[in-house]
Amino acid sequence: MPTIELRDVQKSYGGQGANAVRDLNLEIGDGEFMCLLGPSGCGKTTTLRMIAGLENLSGGEIRVGDRLVDSINQGVFVAPEHRHMGLVFQSYALWPHLTIERNTDFGLRLRKVPKAEREQRVDAVMRVLDIEKYRHRYPSQLSGGQQQRVALARMLAVNPNVLLLDEPLSNLDARLRLEMRAELKALHAAFKTTIVFVTHDQWEAMTLATTIAVMNEGTLQQMGTPDDIYERPANRFVAEFVGSPPINIMELGSPELSERAFAMKKFLAEHFPSLAGVGSVGLRPEALHISEAGEPVPEKVFQVPGVVTGILPTGGNWILELQCGDGTLFLTTHEVPEVAVGTDVTVWAKPKSLHAFDSAGRRIEEADRLMRTPKKAVLTKAPKLKELAG
Amino acid sequence: MSDATSLDRAGSQPAVRPAMLNRLRYALRVSMREPTTAIGIVIALVFTYLILAPIVTMLFQAVSVQFGDERRTAAEAGAGTLYYLNRTFFSAISTDLFWRPLLNTLTVAGSAIIVSMVVGIPLSWLVSRTDMLGRKWFATALIVPYMLPAWTFALAWTTLFKNRTVGGQPGWFEALGLTPPDWLAYGRVPITIILALHYAPFIILLFGSALRRFDSQLEDSARMLGARPHHVALQIILPLMRPALLSAIVLIFAKCLGEFGVPYVLGLPVKFEVLSTSLFRNLASRQTGVGAVIAGSIMALGVLTLLIDAKLVKEARRFVTIGSKGTMNRLTRLGVWRLPLTMFALLIFVISVCLPLLTLMLSTVMKQPANFAISNFTLDYWIGTNLETVALRTGILLSPDLWAAGWNTLWIVGSASIVSGVLGLLVGYVVVRTTWRPLSTFLRQVTFLPYLVPGIAFAAAYLSLFAVPRGPVPALYGTVTILILALMADQMPYASRAGISAMMQLGKDPEEAAQIAGAGWFRRMISIVIPIQKGSLVTGVLLPFISGIKGLSLFVILAVPSTDVLTTFSMRLVDYHYTQAANGVVLIIAAMAYFGTLAAQKLTKTNIAEGLGG
Repeated sequence: MPTIELRDVQKSYGGQGANAVRDLNLEIGDGEFMCLLGPSGCGKTTTLRMIAGLENLSGGEIRVGDRLVDSINQGVFVAPEHRHMGLVFQSYALWPHLTIERNTDFGLRLRKVPKAEREQRVDAVMRVLDIEKYRHRYPSQLSGGQQQRVALARMLAVNPNVLLLDEPLSNLDARLRLEMRAELKALHAAFKTTIVFVTHDQWEAMTLATTIAVMNEGTLQQMGTPDDIYERPANRFVAEFVGSPPINIMELGSPELSERAFAMKKFLAEHFPSLAGVGSVGLRPEALHISEAGEPVPEKVFQVPGVVTGILPTGGNWILELQCGDGTLFLTTHEVPEVAVGTDVTVWAKPKSLHAFDSAGRRIEEADRLMRTPKKAVLTKAPKLKELAG
Repeated sequence: MSDATSLDRAGSQPAVRPAMLNRLRYALRVSMREPTTAIGIVIALVFTYLILAPIVTMLFQAVSVQFGDERRTAAEAGAGTLYYLNRTFFSAISTDLFWRPLLNTLTVAGSAIIVSMVVGIPLSWLVSRTDMLGRKWFATALIVPYMLPAWTFALAWTTLFKNRTVGGQPGWFEALGLTPPDWLAYGRVPITIILALHYAPFIILLFGSALRRFDSQLEDSARMLGARPHHVALQIILPLMRPALLSAIVLIFAKCLGEFGVPYVLGLPVKFEVLSTSLFRNLASRQTGVGAVIAGSIMALGVLTLLIDAKLVKEARRFVTIGSKGTMNRLTRLGVWRLPLTMFALLIFVISVCLPLLTLMLSTVMKQPANFAISNFTLDYWIGTNLETVALRTGILLSPDLWAAGWNTLWIVGSASIVSGVLGLLVGYVVVRTTWRPLSTFLRQVTFLPYLVPGIAFAAAYLSLFAVPRGPVPALYGTVTILILALMADQMPYASRAGISAMMQLGKDPEEAAQIAGAGWFRRMISIVIPIQKGSLVTGVLLPFISGIKGLSLFVILAVPSTDVLTTFSMRLVDYHYTQAANGVVLIIAAMAYFGTLAAQKLTKTNIAEGLGG
């Protein structure tokens, strides 16, 4: 089974304007469930279509396994129909003039698979996706979720090397989406196919992917496990894009500091004097805690006075809006808040939950070494260390 | 670069091959992977020959000495000259040749537009926003005049109002002893009225659909702020409707410009000429040079109109946001006015559909006009034999000429429509799919070009290019080929527009899904694209077919008696004053056009409004 390798891939749509994709290097391992995550227009769908061969490169090369499928420099281009991949479109793109069965066995017929085997495979795949009873219907007679299953079945029937999914869940309602997410995960486990999944929905990416590649403005921002992306965002963009409510950012670089930023600067100078060049600090909403003003606060924590200005219940969780001087901080908690709107509080956070970025927005690794206990890092690295040892 | 190549040849390293060459190889491989671009280039060449070449040739004729004019211009045939421009625009006869016909064209078109607005705006409001009786029925019935050929009404008019100015059978009023004055029988007044009634459906369709899309909430907001109904109408509805109204007006103007049948039938007896009839007269008397100048002028007017329309459309985009989501359509209750207003709509329907058709029908079964005695009725003109006439001694249904013309109509118009429908879809495919932008742009523009050229001018252009042998192409005048080619080219704007919009609507996804599944180009065309586009292909063939059946202006110039189609056949009968027979043929055409349109609508579940351009 192949890995997919993108090397220095460029894509521009002619004329002026920024490139759709720039200097993209990506390696997708065999059997991986890779999510391309980013805001709309970040080049993630273009990347997917280039892997499929539906979009031509403007530079670089793509390799699937040991086969070069796309290369400007060597003048190689393998047509999409010869790449043996599966692609599920956002619109599903079911053929309206063919029944569900004919939609599903289209690829098998093309490959001249003998009738008996064809039927057996179509049956199997229809059973897995629970669409057997619609086999003689036409796509327009199915609901969105059912169409979605047919689109998947159509691609799974030919047993592709790689399954590409272009925001396949975005047209479904919330409940169906949840169901299909679980189903996709189960399918991945069962078929062991390499899956590349494009989405702008961070929760979808977090819950499904084994690896997430975050993209913005045509460039790769960070690649890593969902935990990595959330816990150790490589830069400001990733930190701010992932997470809801968004991460609280304190700008330390500007000449006029906000009250929070001033407190942060003081805290860093006091406890981590060796740390230099911090441009901004991020704090996830769940990393913030409050104590009523005057009450004790743990030692060696960042703290700033504030006022509770809003309490927003979200069903089991609460979002607190805190006014600190001239700025707002968001805090999330799953404990019933014991304060009322208008209460004066002290907002505090432990140093290990700080994300420090330099003035260019890059993560400062030095800060992690200083502030975070290495426990977590060892845990995630452990299997790989074992491999090395073995 | 040559260094690099030699290095490569020396076998040093394949990786350092010249980047440019590889880039080119990649581009070539990508574009040649599919025949789309190649097909596009071929059809682009075909259209250059069938559309661009005739127009250019014709424009060239306007400024070069025509065969037979050597003496008058004192120059060799083919030499450059300003003689024709001079003659058409500045000479002593320029008034008769050009200026008066131009003035007539403009005034007739202008007054036709005003009349059709006066009739059409209230009707479209009634049909789309009120609770008038039989609203649904009227919505279709009031469009019928447009489904019938315009000169059907012209013939009906002459049947009623023809006076002693012209020979042949008199009109009904004349026969009853009430001689209609010339101004009522021929010329400006009847032409204007007929064109207005024929094109009022444009207003009803375009203005009506804009009214339907209009969001009632916009009205409600004004009313909540205290605006009275007439304030709402004048300050909210009308300004927002202006783009739709203007584009209907432009469309009617462009159509009037090329209208030939009506002024030919009603204008000639009193020498009331418009540009199209002047062009026809010049071509008929072999004044090809002057003809080319007039045709060029009609074209220029057409282009001007389209430019104005394009500007209006751009302006109209500012209003696009209206009627987006919360569109609500509430019907106005007419109250006591319900019955009178319904009667008004009915009256228009009777005047513009029933009366003319009934007149024509009766005229074909009556020996003498306006004599309603039983003995005067006969079916001789349909199925009689041994009639006491010079020619056409049988009823038209028994006349081999009619069947020949009918057969010609079917297969000439039919094959042209099939070819243009298929080409239209192909154009759509290439325009939407090709990666080579200039090709896509060129195809779109060249296939749109005939739209700017009124049919009669386009026919003149075809005459210029194909009347004489050129290179390997023999002289085609008088053949069926020239008719098919001209008709096909003339229909390309509609066919290619239909094809492009169908392909746009289809989008890339279904085809790409097939590609991913492993289907090559031909497999995709056969299994995916053509089956999905079956419906629009049928529309793309049927709509041109219907407009081709009732079309007159192309044929009247390009057809000869042996290639007569029904329309030219009926014109010939008109010319020889076989009134009953001519009316009979026209009724047959009207029936074909009407039932064809209905069938097309049923078959494809499309709205007539979409085929409006045809």
